[in-house]
Amino acid sequence: MKTVGSVMGSVMKMNKWSVRLGAVVFAMALAFTLSGQSPQGPVTSERLIKAADEPGNWLMYSHTYNSWRYSSLDQINPQTVKNLHVKWIFQGRHVEKFETTPLVANGIMYLTRPENAIYALDAATGRQLWSYEYRNPARTYNCCGKVNRGLAMLGNTLFMNTLDMHVVAVDARSGHEIWKTEMGDYTAAGGYAAPGAPLVVGDKLIVGMAGGEHGVNGFLDAYDTKTGKRLWRFNTIPQPGEANFGTWAGDSWKTGGVTTWNNGSYDPETNTLFWGTSNPWPDYNDDTRLGDNLYACSVLALDPDTGKLKWFYQFTPHDLHDWDSTQIPILLDTEFRGKMTKTLAWANRNGFYYLLDRTTGKFLTAKAFVKQTWNNGFDDNGRPEVIPGNEPTPEGNDHTWPGVDGGANWMSHSYSPLTKWLYVFAREEHRIFSKNAVPHPTTDEPDRPLAPGALPNAGAYDPALGGAKTAQVGAPEESWGKVIAIDPSSGNIKWEHKVLTPPWGGVMATGGNLVFGGTLEGVIFGLNATTGERLWTFSANGPVFASPISFLANGKQMVSIPAGDLIVTFGLD
Amino acid sequence: MWLRVSLGILIPAAFVCAQGVQNPALTGEAVRSKVIAETNPFNTEADNQQGAALFQLHCSYCHGSHGEGGRGADLTAGVYKQGGKDPELFRTIRVGIPGTEMPAVRVSDDEVWKLVGWVKRLGSTGLSEKATGDAVAGKGIYAKSGCAGCHRVGTEGSDLGPDLTDIGRRRGLAFLTESIVKPEAFVPNSYRAVQLEMKSGPNVSGIRLNEDDLSVQVRDVTGNPRSYMKDNIKEVHRDKPSLMPSYQNRLSPKELGDLVAYLNSLKGAQ
Repeated sequence: MKTVGSVMGSVMKMNKWSVRLGAVVFAMALAFTLSGQSPQGPVTSERLIKAADEPGNWLMYSHTYNSWRYSSLDQINPQTVKNLHVKWIFQGRHVEKFETTPLVANGIMYLTRPENAIYALDAATGRQLWSYEYRNPARTYNCCGKVNRGLAMLGNTLFMNTLDMHVVAVDARSGHEIWKTEMGDYTAAGGYAAPGAPLVVGDKLIVGMAGGEHGVNGFLDAYDTKTGKRLWRFNTIPQPGEANFGTWAGDSWKTGGVTTWNNGSYDPETNTLFWGTSNPWPDYNDDTRLGDNLYACSVLALDPDTGKLKWFYQFTPHDLHDWDSTQIPILLDTEFRGKMTKTLAWANRNGFYYLLDRTTGKFLTAKAFVKQTWNNGFDDNGRPEVIPGNEPTPEGNDHTWPGVDGGANWMSHSYSPLTKWLYVFAREEHRIFSKNAVPHPTTDEPDRPLAPGALPNAGAYDPALGGAKTAQVGAPEESWGKVIAIDPSSGNIKWEHKVLTPPWGGVMATGGNLVFGGTLEGVIFGLNATTGERLWTFSANGPVFASPISFLANGKQMVSIPAGDLIVTFGLD
Repeated sequence: MWLRVSLGILIPAAFVCAQGVQNPALTGEAVRSKVIAETNPFNTEADNQQGAALFQLHCSYCHGSHGEGGRGADLTAGVYKQGGKDPELFRTIRVGIPGTEMPAVRVSDDEVWKLVGWVKRLGSTGLSEKATGDAVAGKGIYAKSGCAGCHRVGTEGSDLGPDLTDIGRRRGLAFLTESIVKPEAFVPNSYRAVQLEMKSGPNVSGIRLNEDDLSVQVRDVTGNPRSYMKDNIKEVHRDKPSLMPSYQNRLSPKELGDLVAYLNSLKGAQ
């Protein structure tokens, strides 16, 4: 291998044009490989499959396709973590909070800033290299803030979903837009949006969408990463003629929601894509949507080449509490009843931890990880035995647990191969579930003509206008949060670290046997992964609505986590 | 004495028109495209009561069951940043306040008008009721009972409890009466009390100003803000959310009525 000196010596022998060209190429190589990283070139699909072999980078939303959100870096560990301090801060300068998971490749951090901007930073210093801003219309139909949760990357291209239902491809070297594809009409029904991070599988970009509070008709898409052309669409509500059609009363399937607003996982060995789905709509009023409401609140196992369904499992049949199953699927091989099994581990918004056989979808076991009042157990197929009396009521039902935001939500969980435990930042939250009747926003707006074939007003209820109230907003004694370590094969909780309020941030386990995360008050913490003991904290004083990452800059381990409108990055020295 | 009063936060954002061809009910297109009545056409008692029911469904989550505010603005003051005329209130409810958490309320126009009627009634709660007690005598009871030790009226008093300078404009008589005899019935989050059981040294009582997993900030009973690291705290007790004692047995019914009349007379700067 030539050294830099010998390269420059060779360059000096060239004519002046060659020298100029060589200098440009050399400068570009330097510019695209910052922070002392060894040149690794474009991010190939092979590198994505073997992302665990690149602990210095963070190449996809959950770091690896199995979505462990585990960094094998171990410079920061129980002995050294006390020396962890802020290395740099990125100022978002935006009224909206960060919910992004940055990517790191070849010494460059790529992150999304609300609403749909991309920033490229030197991962060692946080200094900006370039930015790209996608302009959304003034009015978009996001349910929960004008946020974006991150990027996908392949080759030298970054991919981002937008709040007005586009997918954009941007050159990772310059920020120049390469292509832009419309997923669909963002104003249709009560409004669509796409706040999640996409996922690259092979040469395809897998993209989800949101709008489960707006009477949409959900889907999951795959696009050609080169051209932006749509390759397949899986309808998350079976359409007439498709398998499992008919689990919705009447025409309620047309506006049933069932969105795909978070990220998914991929098993290269079986070439299977796993993705969770959201609630059925109307969330808290089932008057018009009797039935199981497939594939709401489910995990879908799809062939990423074709979008064909391999199997599905519905965690919450006929959901009435907005318990989306849009958590990130965690793929792990674990011993179950004495046999090593390829499993899918899932701490669900409905308060239960599940273990499934990921090759078949077979239900293996489930156990509550937060207080729950709705389920008396499971049959052999994993169908819950629902306890009556937990339904939303017109006067408000205040004795159903978990609350509307669930025992878990979209924030990432993490699995450590060191402890072989799953880490979940769980929510214990008390809410009031109300069942209301208001005009159907997609059909019966008083000033909007009925769409052809639209449903009549059946007293449907729009949950965006209430329906799941807090019993006492902000009172610490009403609700709290906890980081828990779960034994994946049994669902037993090995330890618990309680925090003041239910969290909106995820966790990351590391090879240093630590678990990082942050609270709603902005306390960023490092816990001992074996004991749950809190070893380190930093008061960011901004709410953490995202999950941490770890990477190398100049050979040094760094930990980044958003807090409020800042990205805070920590290092040892 | 220490009264329970929510200091509602008005949503400070300008109205921004939505662009493009979108769902008109969400963007307010319909509002702009139609003439809005100058006065509420749905303002009978029956309409108001229907508005009250709609308010509980759509508004109380943020604005409180009685319009006392919380996540959303205090609606009992009768002061609205987006305007308090009927068409202005109609527009705010119908369109929402873009850039804030105030959404468009997706109900029919008739129902929006009924909400307007109820919101205006909430806003007049503190103004329209007539207290039967003697406000002058009540002022003496206020002074004698040591209320100024925790509350402020104008430039007089302290800040351990809510400011009462314009309490008569912001709260109704029933609310004021209950606040005096049963102060723990409702305590806004910004005035919730905690008792800090310290690992060593004297325990501390105060109003919780802030808290995270590492520390808690309180205004102690002397009115001073203080911060305590949780490493030094054995337990944070929250089972007595109000520092204010009940005056049920400390005041006669007449004294109570007089005190309420005095509080009702506090209208602040007009």
